[in-house]
Amino acid sequence: MSQRPLELILARNLMSALSTPAFLVDEGGLLVFYNEAAGILLGKRFEELGTVGPQEWGAMFGPFDESGEPIPYDELPLVQAVRNGRPAHAEFTVRSADGHSHAVEASAFPILTAHGSQGAIAVFWPSQANSNGAKPA
Amino acid sequence: MKVKLWGTRGSIPSPGPETIRYGGNTSCVGVTLSDGSLLALDAGTGIRSLGLAHGEEPARLHILLTHLHLDHIQGLVFFAPAFRPQTEIVIWGPASPEASLRDRIARYISAPLSPVEVRELPCDVSFRHCPETEWEIGPARIRAASVAHRGPTLGYRIDDGDSSLAYIPDHEPALGADLERLDEEWISGFALARDASLLIHDGQYADAEYPEHVGWGHSALSHSLAFARRTGAERTVLFHHDPCHTDDFLDGLDAEAREAWVAGGGDPAAIELGAEHAEYELPAQRSTPAATV
Repeated sequence: MSQRPLELILARNLMSALSTPAFLVDEGGLLVFYNEAAGILLGKRFEELGTVGPQEWGAMFGPFDESGEPIPYDELPLVQAVRNGRPAHAEFTVRSADGHSHAVEASAFPILTAHGSQGAIAVFWPSQANSNGAKPA
Repeated sequence: MKVKLWGTRGSIPSPGPETIRYGGNTSCVGVTLSDGSLLALDAGTGIRSLGLAHGEEPARLHILLTHLHLDHIQGLVFFAPAFRPQTEIVIWGPASPEASLRDRIARYISAPLSPVEVRELPCDVSFRHCPETEWEIGPARIRAASVAHRGPTLGYRIDDGDSSLAYIPDHEPALGADLERLDEEWISGFALARDASLLIHDGQYADAEYPEHVGWGHSALSHSLAFARRTGAERTVLFHHDPCHTDDFLDGLDAEAREAWVAGGGDPAAIELGAEHAEYELPAQRSTPAATV
């Protein structure tokens, strides 16, 4: 198993200390970590899930647009950030392991280093349009 | 490969009667490769003694800088080979988006901090950013990787034959991380130190001191031991001693380190605190452990 870039290691360490749900993808757009707060949102800890591919992730958690249609993985802010090297923002719904849906806003920014893009971080916030929290799916 | 510690202290030189045995010079390690090539790891004040010890030789040498904090470059303007026209010196170090390695070092080797400028050094000196990929110096394969410290900082691994040296003198891998639980790929510096014949690693703080220094870029004793254990280094030398630590204090820390190492199932001879002028010979065959000369 190869060593992760230091910037990703430090990002993970920082995210581990945050109480805001946060997600980390590598330079290929693969989800490699999410923190405890994100685990609470999703109803599943990262340690239980591990690194998963886009299709498996989508089947479990979505996300979904306002009409309930799955949003392609490539269109997620995290993936946009890592591929375009620009911050990205979106609103969507994620489905937690217990079947509840959560409307969230996601802000993602790329991790740019002297060696190029190493990945991206996304932070989730309850959607202002639906700040009452969870609702049944 | 032969390794000699010329400066084991961190932060600032700390000469005096209370630091005679472990030494007061700042970070510098001399490495003699199997073909006789000489490398200097960092250029703290210890490099002055290294330069004097080698007389008119060698004609060419490499200095590998982990980073540019003063305790790792302060000896450069007192390094005798730098003042010989017949000497070629290649200085390797971390890249930075801010300025070239040469320009960053020139902030120290220039007025008013220095009586000479880089361009005035009589030797043939060149500056190179460490590549992302492994490269060769003489018979050795060199690898550099960014590690957790303040500012752009590298650790090094030097493989020569079957022996390997990992040098990570300024390192806080436990910052926001649990070294006992994390997967290897998520531990700063892990790939550099994995199964090294000899690991020279940051050991600046006692555990009781660390809470006051979280985020300063250095390790507590228990962090250093956990890192050494996880990486499987055959022998570990703790390095970059805090300038306030006297010989007596370091003796106590050394005993504590060995005790903890044994409690974890390790060989007490495989862990020690680095002392100035200590020498190690790394065997060509991995079946023989690193020996103190």
